[in-house]
Amino acid sequence: MAMRMRSGALVFALLGFTIGSGTRCQAEPLGLPPVPIPADNPQTPEKISLGDKLFHDSRFSGDGTISCSTCHANDKAFTDSPLKTSHGIGGHAGTRNAPTVINAAYFHTLFWDGRASSLEDQSQNPFLNPIEMGLPSHEPILKIVRDDPAYSDAFKKVFGASGAGISMEHVKKAIASYERTLISGDSPFDRWYFHHDSAAISEPAKRGFDVFVGQGRCVSCHVIEQTQALFTDNRFHNIGVGINRIQPETPRLAAEFLIAKAAGASVDKSVLSDPKTSDLGRFAVTTHFDEIGAFKTSTLRNIAVTGPYMHDGSLKTLRDVVKHYNQGGKSEGDPSINPYLSGGIRPLNLSDQQMDDLVAFMETLTSPAYVNASAGGSKP
Amino acid sequence: MSKLITRRSVMAAGAAGAVGTLTTLPISMVRLAFGGTRDDFTFTYISDAHIQQIKGSTFVRNWDQGLRRAVAEANLVKPESDFVIFGGDLAQLGKKDELDHGAEILSHLSPKLHTVMGEHDYYLDLGEYWSKLYGPQYYSFDHKGVHFVVLNSILTTDEWTFHRWPSDEQRMQEMAGLDNPNGSPFMVGEKQRAWLKEDLSKIQHDTPIVVFSHSPLQKIYKGWNFWTDDAEEVQALLQPFKSVNVIYGHVHQIQYNQIGNISFNSVMATAWPWPYPQSYAQVESHLPVLTVPMNRGDPFFERDATGWQLIDVNSGRVAARYQLWDNEPRTVAFDHKQGRPVDLAFQEPTHRRPAQNHY
Amino acid sequence: MRFTFAALAIGLTLATVSARADEFTKTDTDRWQKEYQTVVTDGRSLWTSGALGTNGVACAQCHPNAANTHPETYPKFQKQLGKVAQLFEMVNWCIRNPLEGKPLAADDPKMTAIVSYITYERRGMKLTPGMH
Repeated sequence: MAMRMRSGALVFALLGFTIGSGTRCQAEPLGLPPVPIPADNPQTPEKISLGDKLFHDSRFSGDGTISCSTCHANDKAFTDSPLKTSHGIGGHAGTRNAPTVINAAYFHTLFWDGRASSLEDQSQNPFLNPIEMGLPSHEPILKIVRDDPAYSDAFKKVFGASGAGISMEHVKKAIASYERTLISGDSPFDRWYFHHDSAAISEPAKRGFDVFVGQGRCVSCHVIEQTQALFTDNRFHNIGVGINRIQPETPRLAAEFLIAKAAGASVDKSVLSDPKTSDLGRFAVTTHFDEIGAFKTSTLRNIAVTGPYMHDGSLKTLRDVVKHYNQGGKSEGDPSINPYLSGGIRPLNLSDQQMDDLVAFMETLTSPAYVNASAGGSKP
Repeated sequence: MSKLITRRSVMAAGAAGAVGTLTTLPISMVRLAFGGTRDDFTFTYISDAHIQQIKGSTFVRNWDQGLRRAVAEANLVKPESDFVIFGGDLAQLGKKDELDHGAEILSHLSPKLHTVMGEHDYYLDLGEYWSKLYGPQYYSFDHKGVHFVVLNSILTTDEWTFHRWPSDEQRMQEMAGLDNPNGSPFMVGEKQRAWLKEDLSKIQHDTPIVVFSHSPLQKIYKGWNFWTDDAEEVQALLQPFKSVNVIYGHVHQIQYNQIGNISFNSVMATAWPWPYPQSYAQVESHLPVLTVPMNRGDPFFERDATGWQLIDVNSGRVAARYQLWDNEPRTVAFDHKQGRPVDLAFQEPTHRRPAQNHY
Repeated sequence: MRFTFAALAIGLTLATVSARADEFTKTDTDRWQKEYQTVVTDGRSLWTSGALGTNGVACAQCHPNAANTHPETYPKFQKQLGKVAQLFEMVNWCIRNPLEGKPLAADDPKMTAIVSYITYERRGMKLTPGMH
């Protein structure tokens, strides 16, 4: 098993060099650990290529206009920035902001509320969500990949499967395999912090780093470690976005949601169709009181080009984000902080300069491949 | 006894109607059903809020947040709990401002509130203001066939209470330090034991008894007053009864034990966690051997290793469902086969997690 | 004869010179122990005072007898700091965060006192640097 993973990683490493995750020839980019590759889905160039094709194919949607890449576009750092929430078939607006796929391979769970357990698991849901691709079932996808010779040849080569033997398991694995190549590190921060290149980032950014690990209290969730920085703890926290505004209704919403869930309602559909249900966050998945209004910690890599921010896209710029944290989990228009707020969130008493410096620091987390992605939220 | 603080519902007018009609499953864990002839019921337990005044109307935000969160979450439980117990130490230094601020937060609880005295509430004015807010310091009541007793178990010697300290404030400060060598061991005392004996004399021996106490009614570690000096005498009064459960606060951590016919369950604080006594390397202590410790908290998450409880009473036996923040919920329930409380998830040594190792 | 005289002379010279290298007397060590204990006592006083921060919270509220501070495990990777850190850095984290105060320099007498108290309450424990 270990042997297979290593060879998989090696193949991936070569691919990484060619697919454009950076100009360095190394197994993983600077600042990141090896990509976790599941034993039952090793990387091969053909599988990755197949996944790439599936990812970009808009035939897998109710009106033939939406593919994964519609909301996770290559030239927008795999998001649909500057949209606050994504739009699916028929221009339907959803409730959630499309997270980047870059470095998603390091997440333990997928989606803002962690309702998918792996990249493979995640890939099957948007096809069926009426707000996203709006297919009635996975059958239309299977029909296409079984009948289209370009696909059927590839599936035969990659999985040894053909005709009715091609299943969603294969589709999911191929898509996940492609996504595992969307890795980027080697940002100016990485070169400064791990390679000790003192010229790699500006003085304000260096001061911003001190805020990040000190008074800003960012590092506990947006993790930096001694030899790597994922910028996420893979946990879920209520930081007062969305939930603040539905406070008086939370008891009713929570109770109604549980009744619906017990009666078999789909979490995936509920959270994308109603913004207030969406704001319940991880609670919708686990039903723990403790996780009301809690969302997964995003990675901060490439954050400058992946705005707007938060699960509902409600914070437009990085400065807005910093202000929200500085106020102890509250933005303009919020009546008060909510009682389910994470214990890690509290007023920070940062000065204007410290907040500017923190933003400058976050702007150093963009990898070379994505500096030209559509302007995210760092510029007002 | 008149009470200054009245209970009010936190529900917005519109929501209250909708909520009242719901009869969903309990929101948290699986209900335990042992079968039997008595009603099963659930009550909420919130304890050790330690509301601490900094100056004027500014209080330590960390402890305020803990109590507010417990109250908000407790109000989400459907069907509503039969009642709520506040387990003591509402204030940090027993000040009127602290008690008022804490009482205001507690007033948002929907179910009926009963309270237990803690030493932080008592030693400034010997409970004078507390009694105005909440009535008697020890009492009993009956509910669905169970006899409930509330003790003031944080008293100490008359000498220490009345003659040792030059001022009330100093007396409170000295008792407020958990590890203060100038402190004095807790006890229930002769007067209350006499009252308890009399109270219990009217109860049938097969009636389940639940005792609420701030101190453990056991002798666990004297240095931190995880201790009740007359524990044996109190336990002796409870021995004739078939099923006795003691629920206690003060320790700010998960503990449980069985002594004869008496099951013991501690409750968490909403404010902050305390280390387990074995982590003080210089002295011996006697944490019940069978207790599986809670996870060590990450102090960055101010609510980690704090929480509140739903207590189920099934056929007179207690199951404590710990609602822990930033943590796995834990359930410690009476196991009829083993005749003692066990942790349903972690009792087996092979099921433990690294963070449960306390040293 | 001359040799013995020379040896005696050297011996006498040696006897009149004061203690060299690490030679100290029991009086010295007793005195230094007392001085050290005053610093430990200062540390204990700071530990319970609530004066290190701005909100009145004292270290002793969460760490009675400095329990759960684990000084023998430092330096170690400290999650809250994002790196391998020393004990004093974590003390400063606590002063800044739960106590909402200003950090102390590593060689600030107050920090020395605090670290002295912490390690004193944990005396006798084996060194286990890096342990979680």
